[in-house]
Amino acid sequence: MQKILLSCALCATMAFGAADVLPVEKRTFEQSKFIPDISLILDSSFVNRSISDDEAPHLEIPGVVHGLLGSDPHAEHSHASYNANNGFNLNYAELILSSSVDPYLTLDGVFHFSEASVAIDEAYFTSTALGNGLRAKGGKFLSNFGYINEQHHHAWDFGDMPLVYEAFLGMHGINEKGLQLQWTAPTSTYLMLGAEVLQGENEYMFGNSSIGDVEDPIAKGADAPSLLVSYIKTSFDIGDTTVLAGLSYAKGASRIDHSLDEENPHAVSGTSKLYGADLVIKHYFDSYSSISWQSEWLSRDIQGTQYSIDSNDTNSALGSSQLSKIQSGIYSQLVYTHDKNYKAGIRYENIYQNDVEIDGVDSNLENNFKKYSVMIEYHTSEFARFRVQYNKNNALYNEDNEKQSIDTIMIQVNISIGAHGAHSF
Amino acid sequence: MKLLLLLLPLSLFAHLNIAVSYPYIGAITKSIGGKHISTIVLAKGNWDPHFVVPRPSLISKVRNADALIINGAQLEIGWLPALIKRAGNPKAKAGSQTFLNLAHHIKLINKPQKVDRSGGDIHPDGNPHFHLNPQNILYLAQTIKEFLISIDKEHSDIYQKNYEKFSKMWLPKMKMWQEKMADKKGLKVIQFHNNLAYFNKVYGLDSIATIEPLPGIPPSSRHTMNLIKLIKQEKPCCILHDVYHSTKTAKFISSKTGIKVVLMPHDIGALEDIKDLTSLFDYLTSAIQ
Repeated sequence: MQKILLSCALCATMAFGAADVLPVEKRTFEQSKFIPDISLILDSSFVNRSISDDEAPHLEIPGVVHGLLGSDPHAEHSHASYNANNGFNLNYAELILSSSVDPYLTLDGVFHFSEASVAIDEAYFTSTALGNGLRAKGGKFLSNFGYINEQHHHAWDFGDMPLVYEAFLGMHGINEKGLQLQWTAPTSTYLMLGAEVLQGENEYMFGNSSIGDVEDPIAKGADAPSLLVSYIKTSFDIGDTTVLAGLSYAKGASRIDHSLDEENPHAVSGTSKLYGADLVIKHYFDSYSSISWQSEWLSRDIQGTQYSIDSNDTNSALGSSQLSKIQSGIYSQLVYTHDKNYKAGIRYENIYQNDVEIDGVDSNLENNFKKYSVMIEYHTSEFARFRVQYNKNNALYNEDNEKQSIDTIMIQVNISIGAHGAHSF
Repeated sequence: MKLLLLLLPLSLFAHLNIAVSYPYIGAITKSIGGKHISTIVLAKGNWDPHFVVPRPSLISKVRNADALIINGAQLEIGWLPALIKRAGNPKAKAGSQTFLNLAHHIKLINKPQKVDRSGGDIHPDGNPHFHLNPQNILYLAQTIKEFLISIDKEHSDIYQKNYEKFSKMWLPKMKMWQEKMADKKGLKVIQFHNNLAYFNKVYGLDSIATIEPLPGIPPSSRHTMNLIKLIKQEKPCCILHDVYHSTKTAKFISSKTGIKVVLMPHDIGALEDIKDLTSLFDYLTSAIQ
C-alpha cells in the first residue's frame, strides 16, 4: 500500500516537473494579481418570539407602519426580511467585491444572497482624484443620511434596525440609485457637507411611480430623480473621548401604494420631508475597551392626498382626503466594549409623536410606541461574532387595535472571511 | 502688501504638511525634514498599532496632508483605508507620488509559509514591527530622505544634510546599544505578541513563545498552562510585554513560575519617559537586567 502511495507521489512530481510550471510573476498574461478584494459575510439567527409567525406580519404601529415583524406582507416585493421567523433564519450571505478601477476611481459591489434570490445592496463607483476634500459617488448605495443608515446591517450593535428607522424607511433605510457629493472642509476640526440626488423609490415613505392604471392613474407619478438628501457632520476629540454630531434633511415625492392590502387598501400621493439629528459620544479606555452612547432623532412630515381604494378594483379610488402626518421618534443606545471578546449594550426607543390629520381633523392616534433591547456579544476573533439579544417591544398593535407586548430572544451569528474590512467610526 | 503675501503659494513658507501613521515615523520624518515640514501623527504611541480608533478628526488630518507616510505590511489595514477613502485627498492615496509605504523598503522577516486565518490574524507580508531594529531606523531615514527629495527637490540639499546629521548621531548609538546588549545574546524570552521580532533578531534574543496562542487571539487557559510548563523547563529570563495588552495573564504566569515581567515600549509615547527614538532604544536596551 505504502509503495503504491509513494510511486503515485513520485508520478505526480514527475508530471509536474515535466509541465515546468512557471511561477505566477513570470507568466506573461497572468491576471490573478488584479483580483479585487473579496469578502463573504454570513448572517444567520435563531429567533424565539412570543407571537406566532402567522400573527407577526399583521401587527402595526397605527398611522405609522404595518407589517414590521415577520415576513413582509407585500409578498409581491419579495423582500428578504431579517430575523423574520421563529426558529432558524438565514438572513443573508453578503458578498463584497472592491478594487481600484484606475487612478481616478474605485468600484465597490455588495451583494445580498438570500436563500432564493440575490439583491444588489450596493454597487457604486467612488472618485479618488478630485482633491480639495471632494468625493463623488455614483450607482446604488446607502445614503449617508443620519448615522446608522450608511452602515450595513452586520455593523450595527443590535440585530434589528432602530424602530424609528424601520417604521419610517423600511429595513433597508435610504438605499437608492443616484449620485452623492461630499466635501470635507480644510479645517482642523472635522466638518463634512454632503448632498445626494436619488431616484426616490423607497416605498415606505417616498416613491414616484403612478398609482393605479397607467392610462388613467389614481395618482400621477412624479419625475425622477425625486429625492434629495443633504447633511452636515462634525466631530471633535476631548482627550480620549470623541464626539460626532450630524444634521440631515431629505425631501422627496411620495407615491405610497397600499392598494393591494387586504384590509383598508389605500394610496398616498404627496411630498415628504425627513429630518434627522444624530449624536455619538465614544470614550476609549484603551486600545480594546470603550463605552459608546449613540442616539438619533428622526422626524417626518408627509403632506398629500390619501385615496381609499376599491378592494374589488384596485385601479379605482373610492374617495380622497387631505392627509397630513407629522411623526417623530428616537433611539438611544449605550454599548460597552469590554475587550476584544466581550461587548454588551442596552437600547431605548420611542416613537413619541404621531399627529395624523385627515381633512384637517386630528385622528387622535396613540403616540407612545416604546421598545427596549439588551444584548451581549462574544467575539472569537475580529471575524466572528455571536450575539444574544432580548427585545421587549411595546410598540405594536394587533388588528383589533389592542396594544401588544412582544418578547423576543435572538441569537445572531455573524461570520466573515476574506479581505479585512477597515472599520469606520 | 499684506494681500500679496496671502496670494503667495504656501510652499514658499516651506511648510509641507506630512501625515504619518505612527509616532516613530513622525520622529524620523521630522529629523530629516527639519523646519521645512510639519508632521501630523495619526496614531497614539501607547495604544495597539493594529487597533487605532478611526476618529473622524483623523479624516481631517489626512484631508489636509501634502503627503502620507505609512508603516505598511498591513499594520494599518484595520483603520487607515477607511480614513483615506473618506478624506478625498489624492495626495494621500496609495500609489500616488506623495504616498510612502515604508514596508516596501525593508526586508521583512517571519513571512508566513501559509496564509490562513486558522493561524490567527497573521500578516501575509511578514512581521510589520520592523522599526524596533535600530539598523532599520537608519534605512527608514534614508528612505524618507529620498521621499522628501522626490516631492520637494528645491530643498534636497537640506534633506541630504539632515540625513547625514541624523546618521552621524545614530551610528555611534547603535554601536553603544550593541555593546550594551552583547551579554544578552542567546537569552530566552517570552513575549505577548511577537512585536519584538526585529529587536530580538538583531540582539540575538531567543523568543521561545508568546502569551497569545496565535497572533491576535487572546490568551486561553490551556495555552497558559502549557506556557507555565514550558517556562519551568526552558527557564527563559523574562516576559517581554507590550504596554497595550493587559498584563493580567503575564502576572499570573509570573506568580506561578517566578519569571520577571518587563514592559517593553514599542513606540514613542508608549511610556511617559519615551520622548524620542533615542530614549526608546535606550530604554529597550536597558530593560532586561
